Order: sequence, then C-alpha cells, then structure tokens
Amino acid sequence: MPLALLKYGLRNDYPATSHFSESADLKDHYDVVIIGAGGHGAAIAYYLARYHGISNIALLDKGYLGGGNTARNTAVIRSNYLTEEGVRFYRESVQLFRGLSNELGYNIMMEDRGQLTLAHSDAAIRSFRWRAEVNRRLGVRSELIDRQSIRELVPNLRVTDDSRFPILAGLWHADGATARHDAVVWGYARGACQRGVELHQLTEVQSVEVTDGAVKSVLTNRGRVGCGCVVQAVAGMSSVVARLAGIRLPIHTFPLQAMVTQPYKPVLTPLVSSPHLHVYVQQTSRGEFVLGGGSDPYALYNTRSTLEQKESLASAILELFPFLSQAKVLRQWAGITDMTPDYSPIMGLSSVKNYYLDAGWGTWGFKATPICGKTMASLVATGRVPELIRPFELERFYRFEQVNEAGATAASH
Amino acid sequence: MSQVNRLPAPQGSLVDRAQTVSFEFEGQCVEGFAGDTIASALAASDLWLLSRSFKYHRPRGVLTMAGQDANTLVQLSGEPNCLADRTPISEGLQVTGQNYSGSLRRDRGSLIGRFARFLPVGFYYHAFFRPRGAWNWWSAWFRKKAGLGVVDQSFVGEGFDKQYRFCDVVVIGGGPVGMSAAITAATSGAEVLLLEEHTVLGGSLNYARAGIDANAEKLRRKRLVSEVEAAPSITVMTSATATGWYADNWVSVLCGKRLHKLRARKVVLCSGYLEQLALFHNNDLPGVMMGSAAQRLIKLYGVQPGKRAVVLAGNDEAYGVVLDLLDAGVAVAAVVDCRAEVSSDERVTAASHRGVAVMSGHAVYAAHGDHQHLASVEVRRIVGQGECASHGERINCDLLCVSVGVMPAYQLACQAGAELNYEEQSASFSITRLPPNFELGEAWDVENFPWPIFAHPQGKEFVDFDEDLQIADIVNATLAGYKHVQLVKRYSTCGMGPSQGRHSALPTARLVAQATGTTIAETGVTTARPPFAPETLGHCAGRSFYPALRTNIHHRHIEAGAQMLQAGAWYRPAYYGDDPERAIREEVLQVRQSVGLIDVSTLGGIEVRGPDAAEFLNRVYTFAYMKQAPGTVRYALMTNEAGVVIDDGVVCRLGPQHFYVTATTGGVEAVFRKMLQWNAQWRLDVVLMNVTSAYAGVNIVGPASRAVLEPLCTGFDVDKTAFPYLGVRRGIVAGIPAMLLRVGFVGELGYEIHVPQHCGEALWDALMDAGESAGIRPVGIEAQRLLRLEKGHVIVGQDTDAMSNPMELQMQWAIARKKDFFVGGRSLEVLERRPLRRMLVGFCANPAGSVPKESHLIIDGDNMIGRVTSCAWSPSLEKIIGLAYVDPASAAPGSVISIDVDGRRTVSAEVVSMPFYDADGLRQAL
Amino acid sequence: MKILICPLNGPRNISEFTYGGEYHPLADPQKSNDRAWADYVFFHDNHAGIVIEWWCHTASSYWFLAERDTRTDNVVRTFPASELATSDGRS
Repeated sequence: MPLALLKYGLRNDYPATSHFSESADLKDHYDVVIIGAGGHGAAIAYYLARYHGISNIALLDKGYLGGGNTARNTAVIRSNYLTEEGVRFYRESVQLFRGLSNELGYNIMMEDRGQLTLAHSDAAIRSFRWRAEVNRRLGVRSELIDRQSIRELVPNLRVTDDSRFPILAGLWHADGATARHDAVVWGYARGACQRGVELHQLTEVQSVEVTDGAVKSVLTNRGRVGCGCVVQAVAGMSSVVARLAGIRLPIHTFPLQAMVTQPYKPVLTPLVSSPHLHVYVQQTSRGEFVLGGGSDPYALYNTRSTLEQKESLASAILELFPFLSQAKVLRQWAGITDMTPDYSPIMGLSSVKNYYLDAGWGTWGFKATPICGKTMASLVATGRVPELIRPFELERFYRFEQVNEAGATAASH
Repeated sequence: MSQVNRLPAPQGSLVDRAQTVSFEFEGQCVEGFAGDTIASALAASDLWLLSRSFKYHRPRGVLTMAGQDANTLVQLSGEPNCLADRTPISEGLQVTGQNYSGSLRRDRGSLIGRFARFLPVGFYYHAFFRPRGAWNWWSAWFRKKAGLGVVDQSFVGEGFDKQYRFCDVVVIGGGPVGMSAAITAATSGAEVLLLEEHTVLGGSLNYARAGIDANAEKLRRKRLVSEVEAAPSITVMTSATATGWYADNWVSVLCGKRLHKLRARKVVLCSGYLEQLALFHNNDLPGVMMGSAAQRLIKLYGVQPGKRAVVLAGNDEAYGVVLDLLDAGVAVAAVVDCRAEVSSDERVTAASHRGVAVMSGHAVYAAHGDHQHLASVEVRRIVGQGECASHGERINCDLLCVSVGVMPAYQLACQAGAELNYEEQSASFSITRLPPNFELGEAWDVENFPWPIFAHPQGKEFVDFDEDLQIADIVNATLAGYKHVQLVKRYSTCGMGPSQGRHSALPTARLVAQATGTTIAETGVTTARPPFAPETLGHCAGRSFYPALRTNIHHRHIEAGAQMLQAGAWYRPAYYGDDPERAIREEVLQVRQSVGLIDVSTLGGIEVRGPDAAEFLNRVYTFAYMKQAPGTVRYALMTNEAGVVIDDGVVCRLGPQHFYVTATTGGVEAVFRKMLQWNAQWRLDVVLMNVTSAYAGVNIVGPASRAVLEPLCTGFDVDKTAFPYLGVRRGIVAGIPAMLLRVGFVGELGYEIHVPQHCGEALWDALMDAGESAGIRPVGIEAQRLLRLEKGHVIVGQDTDAMSNPMELQMQWAIARKKDFFVGGRSLEVLERRPLRRMLVGFCANPAGSVPKESHLIIDGDNMIGRVTSCAWSPSLEKIIGLAYVDPASAAPGSVISIDVDGRRTVSAEVVSMPFYDADGLRQAL
Repeated sequence: MKILICPLNGPRNISEFTYGGEYHPLADPQKSNDRAWADYVFFHDNHAGIVIEWWCHTASSYWFLAERDTRTDNVVRTFPASELATSDGRS
C-alpha cells in the first residue's frame, strides 16, 4: 500500500488544501499572461515558475481548467513521426512524459503500451518504412513488422487474407504510450499554482491591446490586465484569439470526434491504428475502448457529435476486431482542432512584439504538452527561440518551408 | 426455488403464466414466465443480488427496474454488460454476474471495502508513481480490477442492419403524455411515429398510481391505446429506444438488431422523468429501490418486492406506492415522510385510513443489511438541511421504497441544444430553450424534496452507484480545488459510468453548489452526449459496406492467375502467377522483347471541350497547350497553389476545342472536382466531364505490338508516319470504336487503347488472340512500375510527396515560362528564387549487393540527406536501379551515395543521368 | 445528419457534398510580392462566425457557395457561384 494513501487513511480530515490558487481579482499587471489554461498553457506556466523563477503569471481560461482540447483528446503519446524536426521534438516530449509524474508529484498515469499502425497497401508500407528509418536513426523505437509479428503482438486483431482491406504490414512503435490527459493539466496547474502562478478560470480575453507593435495589455471580462508578454495557447481557438492581436494564421479549424464504450475486462494492451480505415483504438485502464478517427470533413467551431462518424468508426473497427460488435457505446464527444498546411505546430514569435504563439496543434497537441511547456517557457524567459522549435516558426510559410508530417499524423488524413 | 414472490393474476401484465421458462443464473437453475426479464424472474424467486460495484464490490440489486441504472449489469455469453431488468429470459439462457473474484455471493473483491478510508476521491492521482515507472506495474493490477463484463473474443456479430425512416412528427415516449401528443398530431393530419422503449405502450400508466382508484390507470391506458391503434397515421414502434438526436432532427432509434435513422420534421419529447435517489448510509443495499421500481415489479411482473416495507417519501407519489404495496400484500411498517407537513392528497388520506403510520419530518438516516440484503432502517427526525437528530428509531424491513423526487429525461433535448433550468421553488430541473421543431410533451407537476441528502459519519451515502462515490468524495473534490462541476466529474469520475449521471447529476449539482457557495442553477449538470442508452458497435456498424471497383477485364485477370492488389477502391492485377519475382521479371522482358498487354482501365479520363478548352488546360497544368496540334499528345503536370506536384497524365488534342486528359487512378476524382471548382471562379467557356468509368483501357506494348495490332484496325493507319509517337488517333479496333494514344511511360513501342468500358473484355480477348503467335502475355502493375523505372519516370504519390515541386523532380522542362498564369506558377517563381533543398536523381547500385527498398535513407555520416523512392533489380539492364531524393551537393551524375539498408548494411550507389534504358528514346518512337 | 440545400438539387444529406474551403476572391499573382503571395496561399481568416465557403454536390459535380455560421453550423443560405464571380474571373 503506497505510503501516500496510508497517510490519507490515518488522518481524520481530508487534506483541504486546494490544488489551485483561489485568486479573487485580477491584478493590474503581470509579467506573463497566458491565454488558455489547457495542458500547454499550464505546462508553460509551470516551467516558467519552476525553472526560470518567473511566477508573476496570470493563467487565464474562458472556461474551466483544461476544458478545451485537453479534456477531449484520446491521450495518445508517441514520437513515431516522419520529419527529423518532428521526431526530435516529439522524442523529447516522450522523455519528459516518462518522468512527469515524479516531476509534478501527481500521477499522470502514463502507461507504456506500444502503438501499432497498420499498413493495408504498398504505399503505406513505404511510408512506414520511411518513418521507421528516420525514427531508428534518432533513437526512437519504431520498426516495420510483418503479419506474423502483428499476430503475435495483437492476437485478437483480424489479420486474414479475406478481409476487405487485408493488413500487409505494421509500424510497431514500442515507445507508444497513454496517460490520463486531465491529470496532465491538473498536475502542471497545481505545480504552477504552488509556485505563485494565478489561475483564473471563467476569464475570457476580449481584446488584446497592441501599442507601437508590442502587446501592452489584455482586456478580459473581469477587467484589464497589463502584461510584460502574452502567450496564446488556445487550441481550437487559435485564429480567433490571434486575430485579437491582429495576427493571421495558416490554420483551418475542424472538429475531431471520438467515442468510448462501457468498461470491460482487459483484452487489448497496445494502441492500434489504421490510417487507411480512418480508425484507431485503445482500451483504457478503466477498461473502456476509446475510438477515434478522421477529422470532420468541414470547418466548424463546435463540438457536436454526428451519427455518421459513429457509424464510420464502428464499421472500421469491426474490420479489425470483429468481436467488438458486442461492446456498447457509452458516449461520443469532440474536440476542435487547428489544422496547419504541414501538420506541424506553430510555435514562437509573431509579428507583435512580446506576443508568443503556441498554435496549430491539430491532432498532435497532447503528446507535445511537456516539450511545449519547456520550450515556450524558455522562449518567454530568455526571449530566444530554442533550436528544437525553430523549425516551427510562423515565418516558415513565408519561405515556403514546411515541416510536412502528412502521413504520420493520426488516422485523420 | 419456485417462485415464492410471485403474486397471483391480475398482477403481472407482462408475464404469461402459461409459459414457464427455465434459465441459469450463477450456475443455479431458475424458473420464470415468458415476459419476465432476468431481474424480475430472479426477484420472483427471491434472488435479489445482481452485481458487484466497480470499486468496492458492494452487493447491488434492483434500483429502477427500468434499465435506467447500471446495478443490473450481468453477463450473457457473447454479451457482457447486459441490463438484467431489460433483458427478457429465454429457455436455457446462461447468466452470470460480473466483476467478482470467487462468486457473486462471496466476492473476495469486497475486501477492498475495508480499505475505503485509504482510497479517497482521486486517490490514484496521489500515489502509485514512486519510484519512477512504478505506475507501469500498478496499472497492470488496476487494469485487471477495472472493467465490468468480459468480451467474448470469438464472438461474431450477425444480423445487424439499418433502416431509414421519415415522418412528420416523432413522439418519443409511449406513456400517457406521448400517446396524447401522438393522437393530437395525427388528428391534425400528420404522419406520426410513436416510439416506446419498453415492450408495451403505457409508460407510467403501466405502474404508477395517481389516485386511490387502483384501476384508473388501466382504464386510461386502454382508452389511449385504442385511440392510438385506431389512428391510421400513427405508426407505433415498441422496444424502440431513441438513443440520439443529431442535426436537423435526425434521430437514431434502436429496435432489436436494427438501427433506424429517422428524419422527422418535428420531434415531441415525452420521455417523462427518472426517479431519483435519496442519499443516506448504505443507500445502495439490495432491497432499497425506487418506489416506481416496486410498482413495476408488482404490476408488470407480478412479483412481491418484499414482505415488510418502509416507504421514504418526499412527494405524494410515495403514497401511491404505499397503496400498491398494501394491495400486493406487503406490510408497510411506516412511511418516513421528509416533509414537515402532512399532504392532503387523497392517497395520503387513504394510506392513513388503512393504518399506515406516517412519520412526518423524518428521514431514513441509515440502512442496515443482513446477508447482502436490507434488514432494517434507522429513521431520525430532520432538524436542518441535510441534518438529522442524534438518535432515532430502528425499523425492521426487507424493502425500502424511495420516492423523493424526479429528474426529467433531459438528455435528448439537451443533445439538441436545449438547456436545463433549476427552479428553487420545485427543487427540480426543467428543460428550457428548446431548438426549433423540437417540443416537449405536457409537463407534470413535479414535487421534489429539496435536500434528500443525509451525510453519515461512516460515509457510504452513495451519490454515484457506478463509481462508488460518496458524499465526501464529491465535497472533497471541491475542497481540493476542482470546483467547477465539470472538474468534479472528471476528478471524481462522477457520472462517467454506464448510467451516465442519470441518478448522480441531481445530487452532485446540489452538493457542489453547497460546497462552492453557488446556486444549483449556476452549477448545473455536465453535458448530455449521445447515446442516451447503450448501442452496440454492431448496431452502429450495421452491414459492412465498402464498395470494390473492378474493371471490365477483371475476369480475364483472375483466369490468367493474377494476384490482385488494391489501388484505392480498384482491384488491379499486380502480377500473374505464384512466384512474384519470376513473374515480374518475365513480364518486364516480355514487354522489352516482344509484346505484352496491360489493363489500364482505372486510369483517370477527363473530357475537356469548348472555346476556352486550351486556355483552361493552360491554367491548370504547368505545360503549354494553346498551340498543341490536334492529333498529338503532351505531358501534363499539375501543381497546386503552393507549387507542389499533385498529379500528372497526358493531354490529347482531338480537335481545336476538344481535349481528352488522363490523370492518375487515385487522383482523378479530386483533380476533376478541383478543375470544376477553379472554373466556378474563372467561368471560362469550357465543359468538363469525368469519363474515367466510361472507358476501359488496354495498353498493348512491346516491339511486336504494331504487328499484332495492325490487322485489327479499321479507319486509320498505324504505321510510323501515319501514327507517330505522341500521337492520338480514333478509329475501330476489333470492331470496337476506340481512341489510341502513343505515350512513353514504359519506353517501348505501344498503343494505349481506350474503348467504351463494356467492350474492355472483348478488346482484351481480340488482342490476346491476335498476339498469340507472338507469344503475347498479360502484364501486371508491378512489371509496369519496373518498366517505367527503367525509363526514369516519376510516379506521383510514390516518387513525389507532400512537398515535391517540379524543380526538385528535374521537370523544369514541363513548366511553360511564357504563360501568363497557371495554378502554382507564382509559387514556383518564389521557390525558384530559393536554393533547392533536395533533388530526385537516378542511381545504380552494385548488382551483387542487397536491393535497397523504397524509403531506405541516403546517409552521409550521421546525417540523413535523402531517401530512396523507387528501387528494383532491372531485368532489362541487369543492375539495381532506383530513384532517390538527395541533397543537391550529391546530385551530380557520378556522385557516390550511401544507402542505409535496414540499419544493417550500407549499400553504395552511383548517381546516373536518366533514363537508365534507351537513353535516346528510340524504342518508344519506333 | 445535417441537411444542406443544394441550389441545383434541393435539400440533401450533407454526406452527399464535398467541402471546398473558404471562398476568397482570386488574387492577381502579378500584383503580389512574394510575401503577399505566401500570405494568400497559406494564411486564412478561419473566421468563427458567418463565412462564405465552397461546397460541391459530389454526384452532380455541381459547385456552389454557402453562407454558414461556423460556430452554430447554421447555414444562412446557399447560392450559385455566378453571384460572386466576375467574367474571366482571374482577378
């Protein structure tokens, strides 16, 4: 029995210290204002406070802590991307995730499960081999595996010649993992608040005041706040918020739906994904099967669910695991994803001085939470863009230089 | 055990006493009647223990008797997590409990209940992670403990399908309000669909009691049902559950194995109310149930719910329950009425006349069990909100009926965008802000007792049965800083179990409001999401439907022993025979030395006609077409606005205003659609048609091809002068009207023959016949890929990726500089001013070494400087050839590059200029 | 399933349509410097509100325009592309 629990049990009253600041009013001025208290925003605040001695920070969210995409993603952690820049970046993130529970003193429940991506065509095999080769050279555990190995890894996966889309090979990423997505934002936010960061929920930024090309203050529904600098970390609303500062972004915003079944005894350990069928599945530690797939087909800032997507995910998953026919759907939901032309994020400087961007996270945001927090904090603290995220600068589009990850993103594309 | 609790007729409107059904529960044989559910049959035999709870493995039994809770989840073979109070029994059915160690009755897992104090809300977030990596070990243990039923991995779902339905009005709920609404709608001329989730119409009329007359509901039901049945425009569906509302009144309805997708002009929601819990110590004991559950047991199934009952009342409905219990021979020891004043409702008076003791202003403070069933309750006077006196009275009973309030079945309305509003006056939520074309049925008067929540020093006053959450868990979540009701939900998992908050939402709203100093209205409940009731993935999938496309020549490929591959939805022959290496090699040599036949029917084809046809093509492709002579063929390269290569093909000019354009098999649909989109803005005078599936295509290719083809042609000449390379002609081939192209893709003399698609097979047969003496053979896609590689031709999507521009591909020759404008042109200008980052080059590797595969990397020391995109052993040249991206510094012919083959070997290769085979292009121009 | 009203075919299920992105007037490539051109190619309004956008009824290959609120998904109206295009609509 873990010591921590023994301590709880033997006390008479539950520890009544709030994990988060109970700030009442906003101050007149903060060194840093972070717009968006999701995983990224909370992580940035944490690293600033913990490693850079900066804690005069307002972490603002128009809703509740982590209520945006952090609450809605399917919690996959992996680094089996395609480009060198991408692989280096996500590799760092996976490393940070590994030690995160201990860093934060908060169990983010990270589980090494391994991720298997399925190839149903020669083109997919080519693409997987490319990823496996790049991954391998950068120290990320990925390999192209054959049908027999797939059968051994996932015995209840249907690997037959007579299926409509026979599986030809797979990309096995041993570093693939999952975590409790809410715990990540809570752990970071708690760590930040413990060090003096002020969390202000239900606080919406309504305008951003720029003077002489530099951001000076933001106006919220609870008053005006002066700021040394601003970071926007509002996945799903990046274009809308950036516009407040007069910034345009290369983003199109689409819903991404997901669903979960009732809980069952465990039968599936690895994460399994089929880009061709537009579906991926994992069985959580609660025993529920989480299913996700392709982005919605048209732009929308709304988290409504559709019957079509549920039908599509169900059809697709039964091609892979026919026995899941008996599993019962419990709930559907959606997040709102900011898609970029090259499926890579936008991090760093903007055309407005002291206004920093953490945007364009599409379907690849959760897995980057720790490395985003660390690098953006470094940028905010030093004013210098860390080399690891330089490839993701907004300017790259003006140079027609993309970090193109089409083909390595989730089942969406 | 014969059915000791069974009541005599007329109780039990759903059961047929003439049909006895035997089934098994936990290995024990049980008898019931046709019409019984598993839960009602078990109850009839005095078997009340149905399940073990998720966390503490507490014994659980009937709560709502209507499938609204998850206490009744049992395991059937091939179906875990089955609602026992909704599933009918059948002869030989085998049912077991779930989630226990040992047996349902003696579950070793219940030991964990002793450690409850060590497992506060969110306990797993604060432990189990030290030392680093510890969670990986713990999570395996948690994983085994988690989950309810067991999925049967050999199960194959069968017989699921879907149906579309349409109606003017869909009425959801076949109770008194629903039936009245359906009749009203039908009277005004609408086509009405009336949905009822249970097996019969009636709703609350089947079990509730609004007054002292025991028959009033029966009579009213009979009248309404006959009116519904008499109305020709009302269609009734029973055992049909509306599980979700989607845009524009698209409603999913589950009925048996069928998912109905319903479009209704108007939705009328008459799904009534869900009876709610009271919170007190051990409120989850089997024997504690909703008042309406007891009434359902009595009236629907003819089962006596207990011998000696206490009724916990917060409204007058409780007294209808009292009267029903008395009529069923149940002794009512007391009514514990939370309200301070006695109501004057006739049911209250009647109960009193029948000698029932009423304790006003009292609450049940605790329930106590014996052998996993209720044995007594402790009743105390209420002294404040949620507070009781320090002592009370013990009353023995084996049944506690709770009737303290209701919650509307709001989920479908809220999925549609309605909101929930809390009224302090009635202490209840109601549905407001309905979207258009969505109505509610007539509302009842609801009386909720405002605070049926009594915290106990030993806890176990369950707020959420699915997740085993007690009052302290909810309150402590807020104290830990998770104050927003959404954070409470996520931190505690309240409402996240199979009953999705049906009974936990209301007390949670009350507790969180109190703990955070806000109002219940402000606190609210968490978001309602589909599905309202569980749907299996089998229902959602229905019959699998993934169309497959076959060319008209498909059968000939199969007959010739082709191994088919999938290219999008098309099936194409990869090679013919059993040994791929040998087959491909022979097919390649066949084409180089003699003559082969390739089915190219899947190739995209677009007709472009009109005065602006040439101008249009000039704008969508990089090359120039204005001055292209009729009867000629030109290469076509397509870039998008960012200058990235997205497709290629050829443009054939058939006349001054008539072109036929080919596109890749996989790209043509998107290309065609994009062309139309462009022209919707340019508004050029041009007509476009996607004729891909209108034509079958056969490529007859090889030095002997002309000789084989010539005798079959009518209306045109095939000699070299009359029909040169890069020409297009129309005429008759083997009696079939045809268009023939001479292109250089595989680099031999050849003719790509396009005929109406239904003539494909006939053309194939004619050519195979004509070529027999020349030894003609069918040639597959793999050989074609190799042949084009020998010529150094690029395959879009294989040798190009999401970033490739024409400069990298050494295709500047395909960019017509003099054009004013083409899509991508401006971006190419920008890109040309920047240094190239990579180039696609041809390479040859040592014939004795391993053959690199596509996507193997080109390395320079530690750096990755490129990758292979195509590579193969060339039978024509007898060496390993390929295409690769390399950095510009290594792109000059003669450069040596290193290829990393699977991290085990490095293969050395030399960059060469292309084409590899027939550099002067003489053979294709024969 | 959402219904979209095609100007040609009337109300159809949205699964019958292909989305074509934001509508914007064609830029004149010759009048834009490199930076402005990159802006045109890659950067977007991505407005949360009423936007004009392209839709195609897939089976009939008919392209048209819609005004839709991207927050509520409410379609204000659909109309033929000719309403907005100029002749020789290259600029």
